[in-house]
Amino acid sequence: MSHYLELITLPAVFFIILALSMVSAIFLQWEKVPLYYIRYHIGIVSLSPIVALWGLLSNKGSVLYGPWRFDSLSWLLAFFVLTLGLIVQRFSVRYLFGDRFYRSYFTLLTLTTIADTLAWLSNDLRLMLTSWGVTLLALTLLIRLNKQWHVARKAAAFAGRLFLLSWIILLLAVIWMTQSTGQWQLSLVLEKNNLAQLAPWEVTCINLLLIVAMMIPAAQFPFQRWLLDTVVAPTPVSAVMHAGIVNAAGLMFTRFAPLFSGDSAQLILLVLSGFSVLLGTGMMLVHVDYKRQLVGSTIAQMGFMLIQCALGAYLAAIIHAILHGLFKASLFLQAGSAIQHSKTHSFKHHTFPYLWGITGGILGFMTGIGYWLTSGGGGYQIISALILGWSVIIGWSGLVAFGNGRIGRLAGFITLAAAILMFKFIHMALEKLLHETIMSGMQPPAPATILVLFILLGGSAFGLWLANNRSSKAFTIIYLWLVHLGEPHKEVVESHPTYLAKSFSDRGYFR
Amino acid sequence: MTTSLAETLNWEKRVVEFSIQDVVKAASEVIVPLGPISRFAARSPWAGLEQQSFEQIARRLKNISDLELFPDDSILQMARNQGEIDVNFLEEGLQQWLERHSFGLPRTATEAFCRAALTQELPAHDLTALPEVKRLAKKLKGFKFHLKARPSVKTLSQRFGPIDGEWALVELNRHMIKWCKLFLDESQAVWPMPIREEGFYSAWQQMATLDPALTKKKRSQIKNLPKEADRALTEALSQLGIAYSERQEYLEAHLLALPGWAGMMQWRSQQNIQERSLLTDYLAVRISMELVFLKPYLPLPEQGTEGEVQLETLISAWLHWGNLSINQWYRLPAAEQGARLNLAWQFDKITRNRLWLEAWEKTYENQLKEKFVSTKQRTSVQKKALMAQFVFCIDVRSEPFRRKLEQIDGFETFGTAGFFNLDIETCKLDHPHSHPSLPIISKPQFKVREYLPESQYQAFHERTEAVQSLSGTFKQMKHNLPASLLLPEVSGPWLSIQTLARTFLPRSTGSTFRKILESWIKKPDVKLTLDRMEHTSTELPVGFTEGEKVQYAEQALKMMGLTDHFAPFVVICGHGSRSVNNPYAASLDCGACGGASSAFNARVLAELCNLSHVRQALDERGISIPKDTVFAAAEHITSLDELNWIYLPQLSEQAEQAYKQIQAVLPKVSEEVNAERISKLPNFKNTFKHPKAEAERLSEDWSEVRPEWGLARNAAFVIGERSLTKDCNLEGRVFLHNYNWKKDKNGSLLAGIIAGPGTVCQWINLQYYASTVAPHYYGSGNKVTQTVTAGIGVMQGNASDLLSGLPWQSVMQSDQQAYHAPLRLLVVIQAPTEYVERLLNHDRAFRQKVQNGWLRLASIDPEGNWKSWS
Repeated sequence: MSHYLELITLPAVFFIILALSMVSAIFLQWEKVPLYYIRYHIGIVSLSPIVALWGLLSNKGSVLYGPWRFDSLSWLLAFFVLTLGLIVQRFSVRYLFGDRFYRSYFTLLTLTTIADTLAWLSNDLRLMLTSWGVTLLALTLLIRLNKQWHVARKAAAFAGRLFLLSWIILLLAVIWMTQSTGQWQLSLVLEKNNLAQLAPWEVTCINLLLIVAMMIPAAQFPFQRWLLDTVVAPTPVSAVMHAGIVNAAGLMFTRFAPLFSGDSAQLILLVLSGFSVLLGTGMMLVHVDYKRQLVGSTIAQMGFMLIQCALGAYLAAIIHAILHGLFKASLFLQAGSAIQHSKTHSFKHHTFPYLWGITGGILGFMTGIGYWLTSGGGGYQIISALILGWSVIIGWSGLVAFGNGRIGRLAGFITLAAAILMFKFIHMALEKLLHETIMSGMQPPAPATILVLFILLGGSAFGLWLANNRSSKAFTIIYLWLVHLGEPHKEVVESHPTYLAKSFSDRGYFR
Repeated sequence: MTTSLAETLNWEKRVVEFSIQDVVKAASEVIVPLGPISRFAARSPWAGLEQQSFEQIARRLKNISDLELFPDDSILQMARNQGEIDVNFLEEGLQQWLERHSFGLPRTATEAFCRAALTQELPAHDLTALPEVKRLAKKLKGFKFHLKARPSVKTLSQRFGPIDGEWALVELNRHMIKWCKLFLDESQAVWPMPIREEGFYSAWQQMATLDPALTKKKRSQIKNLPKEADRALTEALSQLGIAYSERQEYLEAHLLALPGWAGMMQWRSQQNIQERSLLTDYLAVRISMELVFLKPYLPLPEQGTEGEVQLETLISAWLHWGNLSINQWYRLPAAEQGARLNLAWQFDKITRNRLWLEAWEKTYENQLKEKFVSTKQRTSVQKKALMAQFVFCIDVRSEPFRRKLEQIDGFETFGTAGFFNLDIETCKLDHPHSHPSLPIISKPQFKVREYLPESQYQAFHERTEAVQSLSGTFKQMKHNLPASLLLPEVSGPWLSIQTLARTFLPRSTGSTFRKILESWIKKPDVKLTLDRMEHTSTELPVGFTEGEKVQYAEQALKMMGLTDHFAPFVVICGHGSRSVNNPYAASLDCGACGGASSAFNARVLAELCNLSHVRQALDERGISIPKDTVFAAAEHITSLDELNWIYLPQLSEQAEQAYKQIQAVLPKVSEEVNAERISKLPNFKNTFKHPKAEAERLSEDWSEVRPEWGLARNAAFVIGERSLTKDCNLEGRVFLHNYNWKKDKNGSLLAGIIAGPGTVCQWINLQYYASTVAPHYYGSGNKVTQTVTAGIGVMQGNASDLLSGLPWQSVMQSDQQAYHAPLRLLVVIQAPTEYVERLLNHDRAFRQKVQNGWLRLASIDPEGNWKSWS
């Protein structure tokens, strides 16, 4: 009986808490509320991730709750988005203190994360579209919040227009889907007999629409500009984008897996996102602004997440989306430390320790092979094994092979082992949580796998060649193109933030 | 008259070629070098312009870059509301101004107008747009000719603005930012800019021909540019049609467009002999690019309405402040019309704000004077024997700490510049770079290194390398395509744990991480290379010779005024700050040590003073240090108000006693200072049950944008005995340097204090001043939208000038309320008038600063009479 009760009430409790958070956020807008109320607000906002975690851990199978779906994936996504939102809000309490729009930041951050959570909880496509639309709108408003600064206004206007385009394309895809299948509930749309009503060309078209709609928030080529331009937004806003917004594509394709899997549109996605991986990495290599490097890396990482989707490795894509979101948000929040980071030493002036190096090579090779054999040896697993083995070699050489003396090597070895164990643990835990909810896609065709291998290995080799031919014309051309594509648009650059000088003259209401 | 015209031209051309470098050099005075942010050094942005008055520079910069150098109405209003401006001083200033100007108008009329203009707000709506005002302005057009200031030379791309929009200037700046950051990058990019070794101009000229951001036509034009920077610059200038007489000003206007990047180029050119013409390169690139952009539009129409006055504003000023209606204007005789226009024109915003600022400064001076005079009455009698003496840096943050320490019987404190007169470059153990630990105006003479015996060093080195290899490997993986794709999954969980901990338990997480790291590294007690070592002639000598040790110890002790009455325990206190996730951490460190903690210098001095042969030699020179006296060194952590021991030798019995006493009272002292200091930082509440805990949180919290106030609100530099300032609460606004004129017969100590520490204080002061009045240009903008670039500095938003100065949050309480009071430094010298006169006669640069309003000077003679020299 209690078990039954729990299943019924947990979502209700969750929604009540979400509503409470939103009310609190709106309450904050009322000027008479003293500023220290922010602390209580943080207290209220921190309840929701706790409930989501509880829901995730106690979850048994998929439950439909009105238009909402509660399964381990939606609980996990809710937990992830809300936790990241909470971290960002708690960070902003001090970071934005004294800001003219202090209160509005919290209201909009709460709105963004709650709407985003609801989008991934909805089973009804209308609800999902609405929530997703509100998320994008709230994010645009966040970017625009510092509206006296015309640069921020322009960046927000551009991002907003692209988001609208993305949303309309998504709307088209959803309408097409529902009109053909006669269902608004995602779980029903994706049932086999309903999907069968769609002609193959229709499936491909819908998938293409989905791809375009999702490439925009993921800042994939040729839609990368909005993310590059939003370096202008305050650091917490850049961090909160990683809570299920730039990585929405991975989540969306996983939800739509039955429709998407096995379709030829996958190959298109593969090629496009493969290019973005190379482009993003290239931008990261040539650019010198710390936040711009982070954005370049996001473009590459989101490209890789889409490759995982295209290869049907949805579980891997979800894991990547979540861990990358936390990773990148953390890096953004500590962007102020980039000066200290630049002091790190390089291995260049050390001689290469051959014996240790070869050991690392063997170790990496064995790890890769071992992983491939134990994981069932699918197409994506080859890529996974390659990356894993490769990383072990690099980790080993940096931490152990180049380690200085016994202490250095031992410390390096322990660090490496801890990293591998943590990696294994997190993956096992997430796989255990999600394997029932997330369908494993069909085996990708062999050419797709080969293409990805080609992109990764070829890209690396090309990069290596370029780095060794720095004086060549080819290098200069590629260098300049990467710089050019990674630069902000000319309208969102201002040589001096003149709005600060003006902000004296109009006295606002702070305190 | 045999020289032909062609010959003359030829000759002129050759001269120009010779001197373009000199023109650049002369022009470069309008900017100041900007070093990397990790060694944040306080500089006055107007250090090279002091031969002109503050007001002249204010007018010029208003003209060229639209900057307001005098505090804005709202800052003044706020100061008024807080009672910081005495209106009587304003009236006094106004009277003086009126004395100096004559307008041929009755005094009552001018006075009434000026007073109204000073005190009444601007009209609520724009009066200049009224049709009757416009009509009158048209009629009075003839007076325009008389009311014309010499227009400043602007860049063509600036002048292009009114013709075809701002695009040329915006584009030029954008391209320059891009090329500068790529060229100057130190370490952030994995693929650095190719061929940058060939120099800025040459690399740009070759690469820009392939730049996809430029049209094909522009690229081919760049291809045809000269190969050398000098020639390119002169040719571009002549093609743009810039007259020889205007060239310097033209270059100045270009340098002022992006003073940060230009300043970094200038800094680099001073560091490295191979790059000494970098600024010429910079200007060559900039002006060549301007030429390429503007070529289709050349020649531009003449600078037309520039510098011409808007009669409408003058008329509306009279309408609003002078109650002079339009009809009355028509009835006035022509001479009076002109006079009235002239008055309104002269009594403009800059003049008005100058008068306000001066009134504010005089009010502060008066308050300070009263404080000193009132404490004069009370002569505090030392009840107990001297136990300990503390020597602090002149830094304004030392003052509250010294005040609290002195409340304990037997403790005495001194103030001197935190580099302790040691012209050294310091090199910490296992650090790849050494740091010039002295005011940036001077060059290091010696190098002092930390070292360890080989047996201890190896283990320590391995431990530090292990920590570094972690971040090194992280970077390595990040930059390797396949590994970078796995990196978030490997490091994500760890980073998340750290993020969660830092977010929700900022104080304990920060200190835990620090402790773990410290206990892993276990830095042993290092030794310093004080003795001279073998060196090659090109490098700085390491360590001191015996004679130099004595000389430096003597000089330092004399400077701080500690030459007799030594206590058994003398603590030399350097200072540093602690904050996390803060690109401006160095701005909170010691300004006299070039933006680093002065603990190293403190230790060097303490060790020198403990050497027996140094003491012997000092004794011969009249400074006898008792045998029992022991020198130790400590670091004052300004964000925590703690004193950490960094060098504690074997103590004598008396010194041991003093040490114990210090240890016993320190917690209470730091608690009290923390309470005083933290209540000034903006927070949800102003009082804390545990101020110490809050101070720790501030210095460990990664989301904190104001870990401490730094030197904000600094206002005065007092050179005199501590007895003068003792028992005054100076609110942490005053630099304090010990000085006893009786021991300085020839005035050399005073001259030294003014030239060294005095300049440091003035630069710090003007940097805070500039960051407050022009936060977007001389400050470094909002911290929350900054990005670190090229490993050397920060930019605002997507891209901007390389920002110098202090961020918005360091001078502002909130977006609406200033914290720093922009006052020019008031130097107060306690000495007879002749001393000050002698100083002004000998030190021309200082005299210039006083006369031209770059600082203010006052003195107190032995009888206690206050004299203002400004």
